[in-house]
Amino acid sequence: MADPLFEEGFLTTRLDYVVNWARSNSLMPMPMGLACCAIEMMAFAGPKYDVARFGSEAMRFSPRQADLMIVAGWVSYKMAHTIRRIWDQMADPKWVISMGACASTGGMHRCYGVVQGCDNFLPVDVYVPGCPPRPEAVLHALMDIQEKIRNDYSLAQDYTAGKIETLDRALVGAERPRIVAPDGNRIVTPDILYTQN
Amino acid sequence: MESLKFHFTPVDAARPNAVNPHAQPTTDRPEAVAMLRDAFGDGVTGDETYAGETTVFVAKGRIAEALQRLHADGYSYLADLGGLDRFTEDDRYEVFYNVCDLHRGRRLRVKTRVDESDLHLPSATGVYRSANWFEREVFDMFGLVFDGHEDLRRMFMPEDFQYYPLRKEFPLLGIPGSLPLPGHLPGEDLSYDPFPAASSPTPKSFQEPEVSGE
Repeated sequence: MADPLFEEGFLTTRLDYVVNWARSNSLMPMPMGLACCAIEMMAFAGPKYDVARFGSEAMRFSPRQADLMIVAGWVSYKMAHTIRRIWDQMADPKWVISMGACASTGGMHRCYGVVQGCDNFLPVDVYVPGCPPRPEAVLHALMDIQEKIRNDYSLAQDYTAGKIETLDRALVGAERPRIVAPDGNRIVTPDILYTQN
Repeated sequence: MESLKFHFTPVDAARPNAVNPHAQPTTDRPEAVAMLRDAFGDGVTGDETYAGETTVFVAKGRIAEALQRLHADGYSYLADLGGLDRFTEDDRYEVFYNVCDLHRGRRLRVKTRVDESDLHLPSATGVYRSANWFEREVFDMFGLVFDGHEDLRRMFMPEDFQYYPLRKEFPLLGIPGSLPLPGHLPGEDLSYDPFPAASSPTPKSFQEPEVSGE
């Protein structure tokens, strides 16, 4: 037990990691299919591209049971209120993928009735370009969400205390906030559960 | 190279009086024009045949009667109804009715024109029930009021929207502040369409690049 990793706080950090690992591998998408992107989203969920490989095959049409909203298609001003209401009904923690050019920027619908990007009323995590995007691109967006969840803030890491600023950047080489081991200079990487040193 | 004609390419200028070889006999209906002229006299303001398709123009006040007459004649199906903004001084708006006789295989287009000074015209819902949502759409997009429609509300735009978007003078990118969006946080006030004023106070519809003269 000479490794500083096994000192205080170890269990909490590890629990966080397990929770994040479980969350990231069991995302339940809320398919907000509004236009032709929804067809690609079906391919993304179907057997050829098979989102079940990433644990997200359980599409939930109830916002209470979903934690990932995929906005697929153009959003009209009238629909924006409904989407926002569904988003507010989803339980935390929750994430949004803005799928395709129309959902991200309005796309070719540059006119009076279409919201020019669903980030005007939703906190979008990942934007997917394309018209419509390939299912692989949506899978990549899902993997980005998974990475974001795995690198989520930890109960063991008090970011308000500024510990991340004292981190030796040259040693850890990370730009974005990650879970830091209690010794302050080691990043808890996703493979820590399999590391035996 | 006579053998290399591309038949799908429109190489000829439009010839209004030429015979259209693709015209269907179902759409050439002079007898319906004659029937309406007999029944309504001056109520039929004109007719035209283009590309083998007959169109009858009926005065605005008598359009419901004319449709009733056509319905009795067998045109029992209203396939389509829509509006046009011709952007002319007189008779600015036009409403077209595509009616169809499914049993005898006949089609006819009836049109009526509505002047800007009086946007009311009789509803066709008493004759064709399918006119209900079509007329709501025309009301939503052009502001034409169909008298006798039992539920004339906006079809696509929010009910408190104040403009008629398919009128020619309506800017393509909309009018700033006319459409509400949900706030950024739950319980927050509505924000008003950020797009036209997103990068500058000038609406982007005035910043669109224009084709400059040579």
